[in-house]
Amino acid sequence: MFFQQLVNGVTLGATYALIALGYTMVYGIIQLINFAHGEVYMIGAFVGLIMVAVYKVNFFIALLAAMAVCIPLAVLIERVAYRPLRNSTRLAPLISALGVSIFLQTLVTLIKGDPNPLGFPHVIQDTVYALGPVKFSLIQVVILIVASLLMVFLEITVKYTKIGKAMRATSEDYETANLMGINVNHVVSFTFAAGAALAAAGGVLVGMYFNSINPFMGVTVGLKSFCAAVVGGIGSIPGAMLGGLLLGIAEVFGVAAGFDTYKEAISFGLLIIILLFRPTGLLGHPIQRKV
Amino acid sequence: MPVLLELDHMTIRFGGLIAVSELNMQVEEGKIGSLIGPNGAGKSTVFNVITGIYTPTRGKVTFKGQNITGLKPYAITSLGIARTFQNIRLFKNLSVLDNVKIGRHCRAGGGIFGALTRHPGIKREEKTIAEKSLSALDLVGLTAKKNEQARNLSYGEQRRLEIARALAAEPVLLLLDEPAAGMNPQEKQTLMQMILNIRQTGVTILLVEHDMKFVMNISDCVDVLDYGCKIASGTPSEVQKDPAVITAYLGKEVG
Amino acid sequence: MEGVLSILTNPYYNQVLTMMGIFLIAALGLHLITGVTGQFSFGHAAFLSIGAYSSALMTIYLHTPFFLNMLVGGLLAALFGILLGIPSMRLTGDYLGITTLGFGEIVRIVFINTKITGGAMGLGGIPKETNIAIVYILVVLTVFSLYRIQNSRFGRALAAIREDEIAAETMGINVYWYKIKAFAVGTFFAGVSGALFAHMMQYLNPSDFGFSRSFDILNFVVLGGLGSIPGTILGTAVLSLAPEFLRFVKEYRMLIYGALMILMMIFRPYGLLGNVDLVRVFRSLRSRGAGKGTVSGDS
Repeated sequence: MFFQQLVNGVTLGATYALIALGYTMVYGIIQLINFAHGEVYMIGAFVGLIMVAVYKVNFFIALLAAMAVCIPLAVLIERVAYRPLRNSTRLAPLISALGVSIFLQTLVTLIKGDPNPLGFPHVIQDTVYALGPVKFSLIQVVILIVASLLMVFLEITVKYTKIGKAMRATSEDYETANLMGINVNHVVSFTFAAGAALAAAGGVLVGMYFNSINPFMGVTVGLKSFCAAVVGGIGSIPGAMLGGLLLGIAEVFGVAAGFDTYKEAISFGLLIIILLFRPTGLLGHPIQRKV
Repeated sequence: MPVLLELDHMTIRFGGLIAVSELNMQVEEGKIGSLIGPNGAGKSTVFNVITGIYTPTRGKVTFKGQNITGLKPYAITSLGIARTFQNIRLFKNLSVLDNVKIGRHCRAGGGIFGALTRHPGIKREEKTIAEKSLSALDLVGLTAKKNEQARNLSYGEQRRLEIARALAAEPVLLLLDEPAAGMNPQEKQTLMQMILNIRQTGVTILLVEHDMKFVMNISDCVDVLDYGCKIASGTPSEVQKDPAVITAYLGKEVG
Repeated sequence: MEGVLSILTNPYYNQVLTMMGIFLIAALGLHLITGVTGQFSFGHAAFLSIGAYSSALMTIYLHTPFFLNMLVGGLLAALFGILLGIPSMRLTGDYLGITTLGFGEIVRIVFINTKITGGAMGLGGIPKETNIAIVYILVVLTVFSLYRIQNSRFGRALAAIREDEIAAETMGINVYWYKIKAFAVGTFFAGVSGALFAHMMQYLNPSDFGFSRSFDILNFVVLGGLGSIPGTILGTAVLSLAPEFLRFVKEYRMLIYGALMILMMIFRPYGLLGNVDLVRVFRSLRSRGAGKGTVSGDS
């Protein structure tokens, strides 16, 4: 029973982690809580659904299509709604992000015609593998594999490529990176693109896993994933993965322990507790007061 | 002269870096003391320890015979230490007068209830705050600018406003962190006179300053820091002759 | 005059204006926390809900007078504000924001799971006690109180914290404690606003107090001009009335609302009245009227 819940928790956590990575990378570079990130995830799920339901493509094509739509979308959002505000007050881009969020939710509702949830066609068979008493459904296996591959790919990009190095430099010190000849605008666009690709994948995976998507699905999942990013230490990529897994596991075990009506509160409770003891998250750097 | 402030084997470490090591230092009441040293010697760090922004890793800070190590900055201010900052930290979007009034915070007591009722006690208190703040502004020659926003002042005026704000707290000890930085010779002359006037009112002063002429003209005693260690201490003329100081610091200037 | 009277007697306009006043009180509370003290709070709606449910329950079960219930609602909200503030005021900026957001969601979920508040079904049967006169008398009182607070030793300390925490602390201000006090006063007004809301709507549901409500109130405070009372009033008026004016665009309403938020921030990042010092504008208008002809500089 314990291991079964653990598998379920890790699966859920992997999807949170995928979305949390987008929050943490953007925050790491421009210190913005990108509230519209949840909507990118939601649109990824819808694109995936359209691809499999209308165009009858297989799962991987749907995944790629969702990414192909979400990447330019996120880059556009940054360009239109955040870049003009980069040197503004802290609250201005935050409000702008909320505006984007409301705009996209309404847009998708309008296109769809109503705000009701849609089911997701069964593109992956309901095969169940048993490993002793622990059962894995095929979809869980797919989620874990796809999520792991994407995270490994991200880690390699950030660690070993030129753009990755530029990202790390910009995240360390935006001004200095700029002065050192790094085109920070490219770095920011790339960061939004990378985050969007992961969120789009997360959208398609979650849509299949829970078999239900709606125009407002990005709100709660987005907030929880942001919690995951903060719990892990915002700005830290391994932190987002750790935070996502922790929150997913905590939620599944919380529900199993009978707190199902408090399901949505578990992430926030965990967030508050962790921030009180580690104000910059589990893997975040402590803040040194500069005088 | 009795000792007003004493640092006893004060050490502060940031991670692997020892910013200040085993510093022993005294400031006597009524004197103008100076702390000098090359960039990065740890001078501002000493100020941050004295005012409670940093807690020393080891050692003790004593003020008026009382151990103030580890006290919060606001508590230290109300005991009578006020300061200015090297990189001016005014309340930029507030008026010049409000900046000084905030400096007087620790010498008043009105709270939320007082704010809402404005009972006679509060009215009296506000009147005193306004009077004292205006006289502090007068001392630094900024009375005419009292309604300006602080960010609209010139650089030199901002430095003087910082001094007025610190004075409003009625300190026994005033810490000035590079007050002459960025000033022209004439402004420096005015500043020097201003500092002497402040001392005249009974305030002890500790300076961190790079301008040697300024320091040597105004100080009663000078302590020299280099790489976080004290290398010399004495009257300006003694320090100027000290070979360690000449090699570490003044040597470069003399050539 | 006739026009004004017809607006007040028209039930629809009356309702719109009353709700605007109710949320203005909450917004003024957040103005003290975010605009004056500079602290993020993304969970303001939670304090409205605390004030709303507690006062409504008192009215229903204890039959105590409405004004007492409202006061208790405000004080209870302030108490929770202090309880949240004690651990979280050590956090800064976005961390504080996300913690308050988390707190807000937890409070909402607790109300969903509580029997006495009707859970997710909501709490009905609250007598109507709120009317436009009471609301606007309280609005005036709130503005008056905030004006006095901002022009006091306490208010100056809060503004100092917003401007520079380290300098404020060095000037003798106990920054941590003052932030909690600001939070307590701000959440008190949220609680009062919630009590008025409860006795206006006569029905409460936890979904009335989600984080989107919190962000609506934050918008009121930011869009008019952060840190100024007239700005908060203007922001609340514009944003409360905008959806009404946008009714003709029907289903595109929220689409336009979202787009407007983005455009507003891009073209007026400091809000409608941001960087406009009304006192100064007023002074310069007066001095011009007196024939001196001086116009103040950069307002």
